[in-house]
Amino acid sequence: MATIGHNNLNAKLVLLGDMGAGKSSLVLRFVKGQFLEFQESTIGAAFFSQTLAVNDATVKFEIWDTAGQERYHSLAPMYYRGAAAAIIVYDITSTDSFSRAKKWVQELQKQGNPNMVMALAGNKADLEDKRKVTAEEARVYAEENGLFFMETSAKSAANVNEIFYEIAKRLPRAQPAQNPPGMVLVDRPAEGSRAASCCS
Amino acid sequence: MYGTQSKIDLAIEYKSQIPILRPSIHSRRANITVKFQDIYGFTVEGNVDDVNVLNEVREKVRQQGRAWWALEANKGANWYLHTTIGEGNALKSSLKFSALVNAITLKKLIRKGIPPVLRPKVWFALSGAAKKKSTVPESYYNDLTKAVEGKVTAATRQIDHDLPRTFPGHPWLDTTEGHAALRRVLVGYSFRDSDVGYCQGLNFVAALLLLVMKTEEDAFWMLAVLLENVLVNDCYTNNLSGCHVEQRVFKDLLTKKCPRIAAHLEALEFDISLVATEWFLCLFAKSLPSETTLRVWDVIFYEGAMVIFNVALAIFKMKEDELLLTHHIGEVLNVLQKTTHHLFDPDDLLTVAFDKKLGSMTTNTISKERKKQEPEVMKELDERSKRLNSFQMDEK
Repeated sequence: MATIGHNNLNAKLVLLGDMGAGKSSLVLRFVKGQFLEFQESTIGAAFFSQTLAVNDATVKFEIWDTAGQERYHSLAPMYYRGAAAAIIVYDITSTDSFSRAKKWVQELQKQGNPNMVMALAGNKADLEDKRKVTAEEARVYAEENGLFFMETSAKSAANVNEIFYEIAKRLPRAQPAQNPPGMVLVDRPAEGSRAASCCS
Repeated sequence: MYGTQSKIDLAIEYKSQIPILRPSIHSRRANITVKFQDIYGFTVEGNVDDVNVLNEVREKVRQQGRAWWALEANKGANWYLHTTIGEGNALKSSLKFSALVNAITLKKLIRKGIPPVLRPKVWFALSGAAKKKSTVPESYYNDLTKAVEGKVTAATRQIDHDLPRTFPGHPWLDTTEGHAALRRVLVGYSFRDSDVGYCQGLNFVAALLLLVMKTEEDAFWMLAVLLENVLVNDCYTNNLSGCHVEQRVFKDLLTKKCPRIAAHLEALEFDISLVATEWFLCLFAKSLPSETTLRVWDVIFYEGAMVIFNVALAIFKMKEDELLLTHHIGEVLNVLQKTTHHLFDPDDLLTVAFDKKLGSMTTNTISKERKKQEPEVMKELDERSKRLNSFQMDEK
């Protein structure tokens, strides 16, 4: 959950998507500015943090990079529970990975935090000649489902910082006040206590 | 024969030189980071203290080797291969006093480490892999790899995808030969047990087995005995239900054995599975330095899967004070990650893991705990998959 202290925001962000779509590579590019042709497979999940300055505030992302294999699906709720943002990643050279991305979107819409900022990333945009998913198809899907969409390349760095920056901008600022009255956040009884202890 | 019996020649084991550092640079040594290869060929990045620890560990490994040879001289060659573990009743009736003495000696000896040269032989005999192999025709592995050659399944596609992503940069694993050997082991196993097929994580486990066992066939049987006899059932199948059970058992154990840490982490909303899942699925292969991981495996193969709990608890216990000072999930993870990556001296970890103060655990108590957790886990997984299916129905 995004929590606020002065002009600093802490935001939990989760990356979801098919095995080999490039989730870890996107994080590595964003956090360390590096790219590895063969990124070690993620087991369970890996944690990173990175701070971005947006206008006059800073956003500290706490990033959970999850394992992509289907059977790891049963672990996912532990990672997206209470997340302020999610990047759903697919590989533009694989239609299967796009279908899988749609399933993740569906799951987050039903199970995730209702204020979650969701981004759809069509990764490996540098592999234009192997493309199987058109940008148009993905854009239409994203619009219909209230996500914002970018094609990214962890390899060339295209749109990697941009997608995180865009998420940072879209995070609700004064979160409690923006919730419409009468909305019940049953899932997160500890929200208040968390906000009080966030200033680490 | 297509290389299935070929020995993996890890010449690096003897070649790699750890720089010896002079005391003159002590004052600034903490700031110097050096990169070198450890005895299994993994690149290690550490400061000068780490290098010195590794040199001490090498010396201890040599001493431990001498202890093994001395016992061999005393008790006869391969004495340890005829000793069974003393869990409960097995020993009472069937074995003689001398066998009991041997079993106790061996347990202690194994907790202090099996010398790398003896590992393949000792693991193979004591884990039950040799017995498993002896129940099928001699040609089983070769027949299996031949029969599945060229077949494409979901599992083989995922294996192919993960080969270059398994310890990338390793001087043997990350070569055509290494990839091919790892592929045969994993693909072979995916056909042996189609319920498991391929699960990410097994790539790291099988890769380390290959490095230790030296022959592919022996690595295959070690993987088989590990999944079929040593670990809890269904750790790697379908929805990882076995792994979910282990995580719950571990949470309860941490609450019992390290109540202060458990309470503190709960207050931070830190679910210990966030970090422990990888430990249990890769058996620490991705988290601990190679010799430390293999020292843990020495004990797992002799004493069983409950050792994973001892070690996981020890990692928390060792850093109790630091963990209690954390205010945030990120800090907790940093403490744990830094700790595991720098545990170059296996004894630092294993002393805590088997310390009486942590209280003894037996395979029996762990089994009881598992039975207790199982129904709840199955119910939750079942409800979850029903819920997910119902969304998909809605969309149609």
